Amino acid sequence: MDEWKPNPAIKPHKKRSWYLAWKYKLMNQRALRKLCQTGAVLFLLVTVIVNIKLILDTRKAAYEEEEESAQDYDDEMLNVEVPRHPVSNKKVLDVEVYSSRSKVYVAVDGTTVLEDEAREQGRGIHVIVLNQATGHVMAKRVFDTYSPHEDEAMVLFLNMVARGRILIFTIKDEGSFHLKDTAKNVLKSLGSQVAPFLSWRDMWTFVGKKGGEVYGEKHAKSPALSTWGDPVLLKTEVHLTSVEDAECHWPDTELNRRRKRFCSKVEGYGSVCSCKDPTPIEFNPDPLKDNKVFDVPVAVIAGNRPNYLYRMLRSLLSAQGVNPQMITVFIDGYYEEPMDVVELFGLSGIQHTPISIKNARVSQHYKASLTATFNLFPDAKFAVVLEEDLDISVDFFSFLSQSIHLLEEDESLYCISAWNDQGYEHTAEDPSLLYRVETMPGLGWVLRKSLYKDELEPKWPTPEKLWDWDMWMRMPEQRKGRECIIPDISRSYHFGIVGLNMNGYFHEAYFKKHKFNTVPNVQLKNVESLRKDAYETEIHRLLGEAEVLDHSKNPCEDSFVPDTEGRVYVMFIRMEQEADFTTWTQLAKCLHIWDLDVRGNHKGLWRLFRKKNHFLVVGVPASPYSSKKPSSVTPIYMEPPAKEEGAVA
Amino acid sequence: SVKQHVVRKFLGLISSHNIPVYLIDPLILGLVDKDIERIRSSPDGPSPECKYFCAPRDFTTFALLDKTWKHEVGLFRTAEKMGFQWLKIINKDPRLDGMDDLSGIEIPLHYIFKQASHAIHLVVFYERSGNYLWHGPLRLKQHMDRKFVPFRKLHFGRYPGAYEKPELLLVSIDDLKVQIPKNPSSFLEEMSHSRFLECRYREARAFFQLYPDDASLDAVEFRKKAKSLLHLAALTLNNLGVKFWLSSGTCLGWYRQCNVIPHSKDVDLGIFIRDYKADIIPAFQKAGLPLKHKFGKVEDSLELSFQGEDDVKLDIFFFYEEDDHIWNGGTQAKSGKKFKYLFPKFTLCWTEFVELKVHVPCETRQYVEANYGPDWKVPVKTWDWKSSPSNVQYNGIWPVDEWDDVIQIY
Repeated sequence: MDEWKPNPAIKPHKKRSWYLAWKYKLMNQRALRKLCQTGAVLFLLVTVIVNIKLILDTRKAAYEEEEESAQDYDDEMLNVEVPRHPVSNKKVLDVEVYSSRSKVYVAVDGTTVLEDEAREQGRGIHVIVLNQATGHVMAKRVFDTYSPHEDEAMVLFLNMVARGRILIFTIKDEGSFHLKDTAKNVLKSLGSQVAPFLSWRDMWTFVGKKGGEVYGEKHAKSPALSTWGDPVLLKTEVHLTSVEDAECHWPDTELNRRRKRFCSKVEGYGSVCSCKDPTPIEFNPDPLKDNKVFDVPVAVIAGNRPNYLYRMLRSLLSAQGVNPQMITVFIDGYYEEPMDVVELFGLSGIQHTPISIKNARVSQHYKASLTATFNLFPDAKFAVVLEEDLDISVDFFSFLSQSIHLLEEDESLYCISAWNDQGYEHTAEDPSLLYRVETMPGLGWVLRKSLYKDELEPKWPTPEKLWDWDMWMRMPEQRKGRECIIPDISRSYHFGIVGLNMNGYFHEAYFKKHKFNTVPNVQLKNVESLRKDAYETEIHRLLGEAEVLDHSKNPCEDSFVPDTEGRVYVMFIRMEQEADFTTWTQLAKCLHIWDLDVRGNHKGLWRLFRKKNHFLVVGVPASPYSSKKPSSVTPIYMEPPAKEEGAVA
Repeated sequence: SVKQHVVRKFLGLISSHNIPVYLIDPLILGLVDKDIERIRSSPDGPSPECKYFCAPRDFTTFALLDKTWKHEVGLFRTAEKMGFQWLKIINKDPRLDGMDDLSGIEIPLHYIFKQASHAIHLVVFYERSGNYLWHGPLRLKQHMDRKFVPFRKLHFGRYPGAYEKPELLLVSIDDLKVQIPKNPSSFLEEMSHSRFLECRYREARAFFQLYPDDASLDAVEFRKKAKSLLHLAALTLNNLGVKFWLSSGTCLGWYRQCNVIPHSKDVDLGIFIRDYKADIIPAFQKAGLPLKHKFGKVEDSLELSFQGEDDVKLDIFFFYEEDDHIWNGGTQAKSGKKFKYLFPKFTLCWTEFVELKVHVPCETRQYVEANYGPDWKVPVKTWDWKSSPSNVQYNGIWPVDEWDDVIQIY
C-alpha cells in the first residue's frame, strides 16, 4: 500500500479540466509523455536538492552561531512548522472523481489525493475515506474485485469505517467480475443505486457519507464484452460537519487523547476507534518474575505497512514481561500513518530517510536502526530485533529471559532467534525444547552488541551493494561457524503477505502453517544443555536412545514413522560432504517444510517432529554423527527431479 | 521562606510521580559540603534553622536521569494544579546526531518550574556511549518567553556537559529529604570542567562525501585495533588520575571525520607535563603495552611511545606551558635533532569518541590548524613529522653526552 498525502506546498491545480485535456492529448504520444515524466522527476529532484541545501545552510549558520554566542541561550535555528494539511474554514469541499480503463484520480479541493495510471496495476475498486470535518484523507485502499475474495476484504474494510465518514469509490479497468452480492448490498446500503447492477467493464464513481447522504454517483455501461465503458468524471460538493460531530466522546484521559488524535486522522483500524466500546490500547500483561530482558532494547523495523505494524505492536505489548520504554520503532521513510500507529500506543518512533533501493534499502535501514538502538541505550549488551509483520507470542520475553545468559556466556553462539524455519504445524511439538542450528533464522531475534559493534557494523554492506542483510549475515565470513539457539515451536509468527520478497502464494506455501506458541509461561527444558559441549553430549545421548527407522520404506510416506507418540527415531540420508544437501532438499520437499535453502541443520543433523515423535535425520557420511549408523543400514538417497523443475535458488 | 516552600512543593510533586531527582545546585552543594560530615552522620537529624535552601538565589537546580522516568504528561498537569508555571526546552537527540538521515526524535533537555519568585531548574541527564552522563545546552526557540526566568543566571545550560555517573546519598537538610551527590566537593570540581563538545557530524558527513571512507578490510581492522588501544590507554591513564587529550592525527580524525583516520597507523595523546607521573611507564607495561621509545626528559621535550597490538603505536606527547603559548617537543633519533611544535593556548573539553568519553582541546580548530595548517580538511597520506607540520620549529641538538638518556629506543 503506498501512501500519498496532499502536499500543501504544491499549488492546487486550479484549472483542472484544461490541465486534463492537455495532459490526455499528450498521453497518446508515449515518447512525449516519457519526456514529461523525466522532466517532472528532474524538476522535483532539483527542488529537493535546492531545499536541502537551503536547510543545511540555515542549520550550518545556526550551528556556527551557537558556537560563537553560546551564552545567549537563544536558539537561532529557524523553526518553521509546515502545517500538515491546509488550514481552511471552508464548509464545502469540491470533489472530483474519475473512472476509466487506464486511469483513476480523485481530487479534493483541487488537490490530487489519488492518481493511478500505472499499467497493469491498480485494477479494481479504489476507496478513499475522508474526515467529514477536516476533509483530509484518512485511508486509501484498492480492492481488486476482478479477482476472487477481494470483495470480502472490501466489505471488512467498509464495515470498519466509522459512521459519518465520507467514502469515495472509483473503478479502474474492471471491478465487477468477483464483486459478489454481499459486497453489492453493502454498497447499496451506502446509497449507491448503480452498485447492484455493476457489470463487466463498467466505469463507476460514487461519493457518499457512511450512514448518510449521497453526494453523487456516475456510471458508464460497457457496450460490449470486448470494450470498456466510457470514462466518467463526477464533480460534486461535500458539506463538512463540525469537528465535535466527527469525534467520539470518550472520557478525557491520557490514553483517550492519544486515541482521539489517532482516530481523527486515520481509518481502517476497526474497534480501536469505536465510540461505544473501543478496544484497549494499553495492555498491562503480567510482569515476568526475574525478567532478564527487561532492560534489553527492542528495535521494531518497519516500513509503510501501518496495519501490519498495528497488529504487531498489539501482540508485542501484550507479551508478558514487555517493557514499553525499551521499544523503538524505526520507520523506513517519512510516512505519517506508521508514526500515527506508534504514537497511538505511546511508543517512540524514529523515521529514517530511505537510502538506496530494494534489498539495499532494507539493509541500510537495518543498519541505521541497530546503530541508533545501541546509541540510545548505551548500557545494553543486547538488542531484540523485530519486524513489523510478526506476531509475538505471549511468552516471547519469558523465552528470551530463560536463554539470554547463553548468548552472554557462550562465544560459539551467533544469535537467539524466536523462529524455527522447520517448525510447522506437523513438525513442531514441544514448546519447552530448544535447538542449536547453523543457520540464522531472523524473524524475531537477539543480537549481541559486541557482535554488532566489533564485527558487523564496520563492514556492513554499503548502499550500492544490493544485498539482503540476512543473507549477508548468514555468509560464512560473518557467521564464522557460530550457531543460533531456536525453539522447537516458534515464538513469532510471520503474517505479512505483502512485502519485498513476499506474496500470497509464497506465504501460503511456506509460512501459513507455521506453528506458533500460544502457551504462557513455558518453562524451558534443560537450557544448560544448549552450551557448545553440553549439546554434543545431549545429541549423543539422544542418538543412543533413538530407534532406527526401517530404511527400506519411502521416507515421504506417513507410514515411514510408526503410529506412536513421544518416541525418538532416527533416519540416515546420503550426504557426501558438508555442502551436499541433495537428499535433504528432496526430503524437505516431500515433508512440506522449508526446502528453498538449507535451514535448521547442526553438523549434518536435523531435528523435527513427525506424528509427535522426535525425528532425527543424519547425513552420512558428512555428519560426525554418522558413526551412530548401524552397518546394516544404507543411507537413503533421493534423486532431485529433472533439471527444469530444479529447486528454486 | 518562599524558596524553601517552593522546593518543598516541587519535591512533593516529583515524589508523587515517583521521579527520582537529585540536587546539583552548586550554591547549596557548596554550603552542604562545609557541613558534610555532620549531614552524613545524622541523615534524619532536625536542622535548627533554614540554612541551605533559604540562602539568597533565584533558582534551585536539580538533576533527573532520563531513563528513570516515563515522560508522563500527568506530571505537568499536577504541577499546574499546584500552581507551578513550567517551561520545557527540547532539542535534537545528540545520540542520533552522528547518524545519517534519522529524524523524529527531539528530547527534553531542561525543565523550569516557576512559582512566585522562585524557580526550579531541572536538568535532564542522558546516558551515552562511553558510560557517562550528558546534559544538553539550554537554547530558547523563537516563540519562547525570554523573561520566564533570568536565563543567564542559570548554572547549567550555557554549554552541554559530561559527567561520571554519580553515587547518590539521601540526606535530610533543612527538614527536606533530598538526594545529593555522595561527594559534593568532587561533584563541584567535576562541574567546573564539564563542558562538552559534540563531534561535528554534519561536517564529517560532508567530508566523507568529498573523500569516501576507506572500507577495506585493512581499514576496518586498523580502526578496531586503534579503538581498543585507545580504550586501554584511557583506562590506564584514568586509573592513574592523569588527564590526557586526543592530539595530532587522532584529534584531527575526531574533528574532521568523527572517526579514526585509517591510514594514520598510530594513536596520539597529549598530557600536560605538570600532570606527568613516574608511574606512567610501568602502568602501561603492566597493561601489556611495552615501551617502544622515550625521547627527551621531564624538563624538556618528553615523548613516550608504547607498542600496541600488531604495529599500532601509542604516542604520548607532553606539553609545556609558556606565557603565551603551549608546545611539545620532537627528537630525531639518528641525528639527535630537536624540534618544537607550537600551539596557541587552549583549555580542555569533554567529547565522545569511539564510545569513549575523552578530552579534546576546546579550541580544536586552532589546535588542528596550528598542527596541520589551513588545509587540514584535505587528507594527506604522506606526512613527515619533521617538516610537514606548519607549527614545527628547529630547536637545536641534544648534547651528545645526554643521548643515552634522551634517546632511548627499545
